[in-house]
Amino acid sequence: MKQTGIYLLALIACMVIVVPSLYADSSSPVLEPPAQVSTVIPETAQQPQPETTAAEETSKTEAETEFSEDEGNAITIADPIYPWNKAMYHFNDKLYFWVLKPVAKGYSSVMPEDIRIVTRNFFSNLTTPIRFVGCLLQLRVKDAGNELVRFVYNSTAGVLGLADAAKADFNIVRRDEDVGQALGSYGIGHGFYIVWPFIGPSSLRDTVGWAGDYFLDPVSYVNPMEASFGIRAYDKVNETSLRIGDYEDLKKAAIDPYVSIRNAYIQHRKNKVDE
Amino acid sequence: MIKRLTVLSLLFLLVFPFSAYAGIPLDTVKGHVNSILDVLRDPALKGESGKKMKKEKIRAISEKMFDYTELSRRTLGPNWNKFNASQQKDFIELYRSILEDAYVDKITSYTDEKVLFNKENTLTEKTTEVQTTIITKKADIPIFYRVISRGDTWRVYDVVIEGVSLISNYRSQFKEILMNKTPDALLDTLRKKVGKA
Repeated sequence: MKQTGIYLLALIACMVIVVPSLYADSSSPVLEPPAQVSTVIPETAQQPQPETTAAEETSKTEAETEFSEDEGNAITIADPIYPWNKAMYHFNDKLYFWVLKPVAKGYSSVMPEDIRIVTRNFFSNLTTPIRFVGCLLQLRVKDAGNELVRFVYNSTAGVLGLADAAKADFNIVRRDEDVGQALGSYGIGHGFYIVWPFIGPSSLRDTVGWAGDYFLDPVSYVNPMEASFGIRAYDKVNETSLRIGDYEDLKKAAIDPYVSIRNAYIQHRKNKVDE
Repeated sequence: MIKRLTVLSLLFLLVFPFSAYAGIPLDTVKGHVNSILDVLRDPALKGESGKKMKKEKIRAISEKMFDYTELSRRTLGPNWNKFNASQQKDFIELYRSILEDAYVDKITSYTDEKVLFNKENTLTEKTTEVQTTIITKKADIPIFYRVISRGDTWRVYDVVIEGVSLISNYRSQFKEILMNKTPDALLDTLRKKVGKA
């Protein structure tokens, strides 16, 4: 009964968001992508491509054009609140090594991997409204339909979402959509980079997106609030237990981990929006 | 005779599409990735010494698989020309060490992962993207190899993992460093990272 209420609320939330978005979509060309605002002006914009003379070797000419081609793809993000972001980066780093990782390690030593994967599936199924609305906001009706089918099938045949039966049986895969991506698809740029304590890398746009996601996440409607936080924390620990080593590898590979993570975040999000 | 020709042409049709669609870039990447998988699954390589052998063998394959000069050049972008010839040489060596240190360890921890070679996506006349997916128990990870035509073969110059391009990621880091530092200072930073300072 309570669950029905949650989904009704989610549905209302959808409508509240979908209706204005229809206007937003029609006026989308007006929205200039602020993504162009960046700390680093693309090199190509600063200096025109050096004219290569015929005398120069072809490989060099190629390299020059390919530089510009790579540079054109280079995506940057403004970082005006760098001191805050850097402090939060250090905070999250310590949080991971001192708290999250030890807890996740302890948890994974008592919880077999299969159960942890099943738990992740369960949480993933719960957040269907976020992906469903994320698809709808982009008018991707087919993808939205797939998410709906996945939810119904995984909740029943997949036993409360414990198994990803829709993927196993029909190869209907999860579409990782959210409100932030929908905003991105309207041409709204990131604005600037923000690192949040506990949550991690984000941007102005994606933070707004998260606020939308929050209302679409059934866990947000669990009472009391402490229980809701508890469930989120458990989800986080479970997810971390399946990813121990990823963050370490990223840091190990990086020359400047802060810059590397910032770049990986915007590249990853751009890819999601383009998908 | 005609019957035989029909059979032959049918056979040809059956065989040809495979070789036509699975182009040379895909086959090249597939060959290297499969030989890495063979090394990883080699039952003879066990324990600490086996792990060391595995790393050596993977390094040898990566030497054939990647074009480290192209990779370095594209990573530095326009900054490449700020390096003189010997600095460029040092950079390629150091960058390669960093990449190997970072990824060979990770790769040797893989065992039963399956790799799907999905398709090729032509980027430019000389470059192509080979799209693969690593299927692990925990997740499916899309890994795209960008290759460049080099004589009669194709060499990898970028790896895009879940939408994150390796060279773009390093470029952002090097760019930041080179804004206030000289190429020599950057090389020193890299030497420290590699542990050869």
